[in-house]
Amino acid sequence: MKNLITIGLPSKGRLKEGSIAFLEKNNLKLISNGAERNYFAQIKDFPNIKIIYLHAKEIIQRLGDGTLDIGISGLDLLNESPINLQKKIEVKKKLDFGMANLVIAVPDDWIDVQTVADLEEVSFDFRDKKNTRLRVATKYPNLTNGFLVSKGVTQYKLVASLGATETYPFIGSSEIITDITSSGKTLKDNNLRTLKDGLILKSQACVFFSKKKAAKLQPFLNSLA
Amino acid sequence: MKSKNYSENIIKVFKRDGFVLSEPDVLLDSDYIIQRSGENFRKLMLTFEDDTGKSMCLRPDLTVASCIKYLKDNSKANSKIFYSGQAYRRSGSSKDKVINDQLGIEILGSKNKPNDDLKVLKTIANSIEKIKIKKTSIKVGDVSLFQKLIESLKIPERWKMRLIRHFWRPKYFEDLLNRLQTNSDVDPVAVDLDKKKFSEMKNLDQNKEIASRKVSEILSRFDRKIKDPRSFRENKKIVKVIRDFLKINCSINKAERTLQGFVKKNNLNKNVFKDLSTIKNLSKINSKTMFSTNFGRDIEYYTGIVFEIYNSSKREIARGGRYDGLLKSLGSKKNISAVGAAINLNNLKT
Repeated sequence: MKNLITIGLPSKGRLKEGSIAFLEKNNLKLISNGAERNYFAQIKDFPNIKIIYLHAKEIIQRLGDGTLDIGISGLDLLNESPINLQKKIEVKKKLDFGMANLVIAVPDDWIDVQTVADLEEVSFDFRDKKNTRLRVATKYPNLTNGFLVSKGVTQYKLVASLGATETYPFIGSSEIITDITSSGKTLKDNNLRTLKDGLILKSQACVFFSKKKAAKLQPFLNSLA
Repeated sequence: MKSKNYSENIIKVFKRDGFVLSEPDVLLDSDYIIQRSGENFRKLMLTFEDDTGKSMCLRPDLTVASCIKYLKDNSKANSKIFYSGQAYRRSGSSKDKVINDQLGIEILGSKNKPNDDLKVLKTIANSIEKIKIKKTSIKVGDVSLFQKLIESLKIPERWKMRLIRHFWRPKYFEDLLNRLQTNSDVDPVAVDLDKKKFSEMKNLDQNKEIASRKVSEILSRFDRKIKDPRSFRENKKIVKVIRDFLKINCSINKAERTLQGFVKKNNLNKNVFKDLSTIKNLSKINSKTMFSTNFGRDIEYYTGIVFEIYNSSKREIARGGRYDGLLKSLGSKKNISAVGAAINLNNLKT
């Protein structure tokens, strides 16, 4: 089909629910073949729109390689992706769900560390006393690096984390972490606290599109409210 | 003269002056470097994973690579080396090259500091003369003077450390000066809240570690921090002193007099810059050398003298300096002082 538009939606969780609600608000009603695990869907009365459910991170990747024309995913995931990928993707619209902040968190008992400036100082102490670097566990190495270096914190080492980052400081895998949080509850429950000026990024769900397809997509994108 | 001839002739001078060829490894362990130099170094490195999953990188710099070799070989106390080879760096812009030819000398385990500083500058000046580049000019500085100035000022200890550490990041340094003026990093509300916690934590086992930091360490830093008041007017004055210091730029023969004038004008301790023998020593090479305090601020490992040599069109053709902390930060157990310099071959060619 010539005017086929492929849209990627998050396959689970709050991002999925929010995305479906957003489409319905725009009178785009999803229909699927009924199988619970089916990754494809259609939109009623729009035979030229194809929906694919994907992992939120995958949506950014597939927008970059042209598999998807449009996608809904988190701003954090776009900003964390490599620069050449980011250049190919544009934000059409910020949506009012999926709000979350990427923050620096330290153990609650580190009462002397309230600001990034404190952290910078402790990281140097750490180097001088132990001759190793303060370890920062994160799922967001690029954003974390950019932020810390811009604030003068250079004496650290990143530890890649895939999940449950909050546990790292207490099992000896890192000293501090950066992580995405919406209410702050998980951090609090795990005896962590954010720094006063430790906000790395305010994230939310967004409608993204592939820049290369901009001309073809404009009429449809502009119809979204 | 062709660049190959340049190198050959420069190396002749290096050898004549007693420097011995060192051939550092091309492949280095990335984690080793990051563990010791910090994550910001990673941006420069070209890395890959070997078969065992270990992250390796191409040597980003021959000074660092030579120091690693020196430590690995467990070399004798004093080692005068030269290197000639390629260094590989990831570059942010298309203008910068990935492969850089580096040619330079180092005195590792340097004992007689003023003497070795002079020796390095002299060998570099000789080699530039040898390849018949005329009308060069030299600029020198000494980053330890800045440290001495800061030590002598009446500001909290942690601010001293902070200013000294970030001397290398002029932009962030400027942020720091602005913050010092406005006293904005102790929040009274947060302090009150944490005072309660402070007394609770005093009852804990003081050797207990929380994310690799001892309770005693956390409490003593907290205590120091809240007892660290600074008055606003004093800070403004101090920031002005620092800014004025960084404006000093004069002929090397006038360096001592200019610094003394600065000390007098600002009522500083007479002995702040007591020992200027190293700087005065360097004037032996060329009496027209310029002295600047705001200089050598782009390479973090310098700790003492720094110098640059320019050709007639003011392009940098060589630079060097003293870096007494680098070997320790690369894993040496004891302090090993060092001084070195490199020729910028790319700028010689034009």
